[in-house]
Amino acid sequence: MSRWIALGLATGVRTTRFPDPAGVGDDGAPSAVACRWRALTPEVALAAADTCPTRAITATGSATRGRLCLDVGACIACGRCVSRFPEAFSWAADPRVAVRARDRLTLDVRWGPGQPPTPAEPTELAEQVRRRGRSLFRRSLHIRHVDAGSCNGCEAELQMLTTPYVDLSRLGLFFTPTPRHADVLLVTGVVTRNMEAALRSTYEAMPGPKLVVASGACAVEGGCFAGGPMTQGPLDRLLPVDVYVPGCPPTPQAVLHGLLLAIDRAAEHLDLVGAADGP
Amino acid sequence: MTGALAAMAAGAGLRPEPGPPAELRARCDGPTFHAAVGRLAQTGILADLFATTRPDQPARLTAVLHTAHDPRWLVVETELAGRDFPSLTPTVHAASWYEREIQEMHGLEAEGHPAPAPLRLHDWPADRPPMGARPTPPGAVPHVPRWEAPPTVEGQGVFQLPLGPVRSGPQESARFLFSSGGEDLVAVTPRLGYKFRAVERMAEGLPADRALLLAERVAGTSAFANALAFARAAERALGLAVAPQAERARTALAELERLRHHTHALGRLAEATGLGVAAAQYALLTEESLRLAAELTGHRYLRGSLVLGGCRAGLDGPAWGRLGQRATAWARRASRIRSILDATATFRDRLDTTAILEPAAAAAHHLVGPVARASGLDRDCRRDHPFAAYAAVAFPVPTAGTGDAAARATILLDEMDQALAILDQLAAGAVPPAPWDPGRGRGAALGWAEAPAGEALHALELDLDGRVVRWRARPPAVVNWHPFAQACASGNNLTDYPVIEASFALAPAEFDR
Repeated sequence: MSRWIALGLATGVRTTRFPDPAGVGDDGAPSAVACRWRALTPEVALAAADTCPTRAITATGSATRGRLCLDVGACIACGRCVSRFPEAFSWAADPRVAVRARDRLTLDVRWGPGQPPTPAEPTELAEQVRRRGRSLFRRSLHIRHVDAGSCNGCEAELQMLTTPYVDLSRLGLFFTPTPRHADVLLVTGVVTRNMEAALRSTYEAMPGPKLVVASGACAVEGGCFAGGPMTQGPLDRLLPVDVYVPGCPPTPQAVLHGLLLAIDRAAEHLDLVGAADGP
Repeated sequence: MTGALAAMAAGAGLRPEPGPPAELRARCDGPTFHAAVGRLAQTGILADLFATTRPDQPARLTAVLHTAHDPRWLVVETELAGRDFPSLTPTVHAASWYEREIQEMHGLEAEGHPAPAPLRLHDWPADRPPMGARPTPPGAVPHVPRWEAPPTVEGQGVFQLPLGPVRSGPQESARFLFSSGGEDLVAVTPRLGYKFRAVERMAEGLPADRALLLAERVAGTSAFANALAFARAAERALGLAVAPQAERARTALAELERLRHHTHALGRLAEATGLGVAAAQYALLTEESLRLAAELTGHRYLRGSLVLGGCRAGLDGPAWGRLGQRATAWARRASRIRSILDATATFRDRLDTTAILEPAAAAAHHLVGPVARASGLDRDCRRDHPFAAYAAVAFPVPTAGTGDAAARATILLDEMDQALAILDQLAAGAVPPAPWDPGRGRGAALGWAEAPAGEALHALELDLDGRVVRWRARPPAVVNWHPFAQACASGNNLTDYPVIEASFALAPAEFDR
């Protein structure tokens, strides 16, 4: 036993400083794709839409008039747009990608005769975001996770949340085995036909008020499995969703940001329009 | 010894023709198929058995077999005259779950199957099998309960305890029904299929390079190995060669995935035995290997790093240098943790004689991976069916004979060392002298890889445009879940269960697909 103690002490503290900005991004992987709309041409927009396997990038129209829609919620981070059109698509390094309203994950770029590609301002969303931002939970939070049909990538990342690197409990966040003690339902996976009933009964067994976090491309929009014969989701078709965390899978820091956002201890950082000015 | 498989096939009455490199393909009629596969599975290994049902074509059964000391695979196919075929299960136990899948997914009938209940479908109507000839029409499919409660153990003091599908922590969905008399774990009945997403069906009609993304999502924890097996099947079907440097990078990434999987599994095992420091140490190694993966490929689970015919993550000189340095540093730490684990009596005590899977049982189930090696089966498709750069590196294949949780833990520990040693050799410049011969591309081929949990075998058929006609994914968990209940019922306590589950390290996602 003393050898274990010695080993533990010799290792020292390895915990990330996240959500302190000093620790942001130290889990190593980008969490979302960004569109450098200033560098976008209609040709690239239409070709990028063809490249995207999950309709995260869709484009209509022609060289003279058209529209590109980037939906980070549907993105499975395959990176094909980034590697084929590096001038127009890049990785957003900030893992704080969770949002409260589904529309905040989309960027709408239009072009017309004499008008270069220009993003639409997200207008009516501000009020919606403010309204939902007043959370009843501010301090400690108990989380009930349900795997509603994932590839287990999301669970592998969630399991990292309780390890020394992230250590969820230092923030007052805990996984709970019982829905009766849970404040937030954290859902991963597409919601398969065989998991729908278990998901619903877990939600119903939770006392109100309660929050729902959709974590990962599958829960947010179906990912690769959208429209599949066994897919009942996306999650917000079945339950009211408070926070969306994109990613395939979302990194531990992205999930943590989503949980903190749900209880108003973090702010939204995803700015798809401003991302064009990034590196 | 390379003629062993051909001689066996001829002895069983088959006339195999050469297929893609390292494959023999034989077509025969139904009775010959039944007799030959039944006979070959007694001396060889039944690696897969699956059906293909397409519109306006007779249903087809395919068996994939291999044998020790022959690097080739034997693919035996037969067309069915109707909807049924005689079950192989009465003579080949390993065929049981394959035939149950064929029945529920394709609507065919294995006549004489002793326990034909569905495995992955819970309430899907029997008359429209989800992998049948016709795609599922859009619209609501009625819920028709089909789950047959397994026979439970009854007696004085025996109670039933269900666990799942929603588990206690952030874990995958699966349900386990425990029958327990006081402390004794009399029986455990797993119910899987909660995560059935119809991955293979969703790939049909997609170009192979898009279906590759689905192969990466069979399971996140073996994303690279399954994608590699799929990519190799596609490359062999299309006749694409892979450059030696790309093979070297693929091999390194496959070993990085194995390392991450095994450190994670050992961390779970340490947690199950109450060793907090050991669990934390393995978690650190897991997180560091995830970060190195992200550094090298841009993705913590190595997704997007493969392309057909190559490796997008072209590792350059400095990357190899970092990989080599980390492997050396990790090896030092891993050996220190291991030496303390070996000296921790409580750890040994919880694992010794827990959930024994006898070598005979492992052999009868034709198991793969660390679970098979822990029960004395000396098989590893990196050595037996070389691919990528494995022929250019030297590595021992560890085996143990006791088949208990301690043996499985030993194999995981040995394979961690082995993965680190392979990474070392690759970083030092080991590279295959020439590309593997991909053949001329016949539109159909097998692809394989040794995933962290064992052999992943993918069979792929493409049309002339390179689109998927039929993809069969047989990840290791499909094989290794089969004997799980038997191992649980080998005289264990209820409190042993977390140890048992962690020692098998089986992913429901891989099974459910």
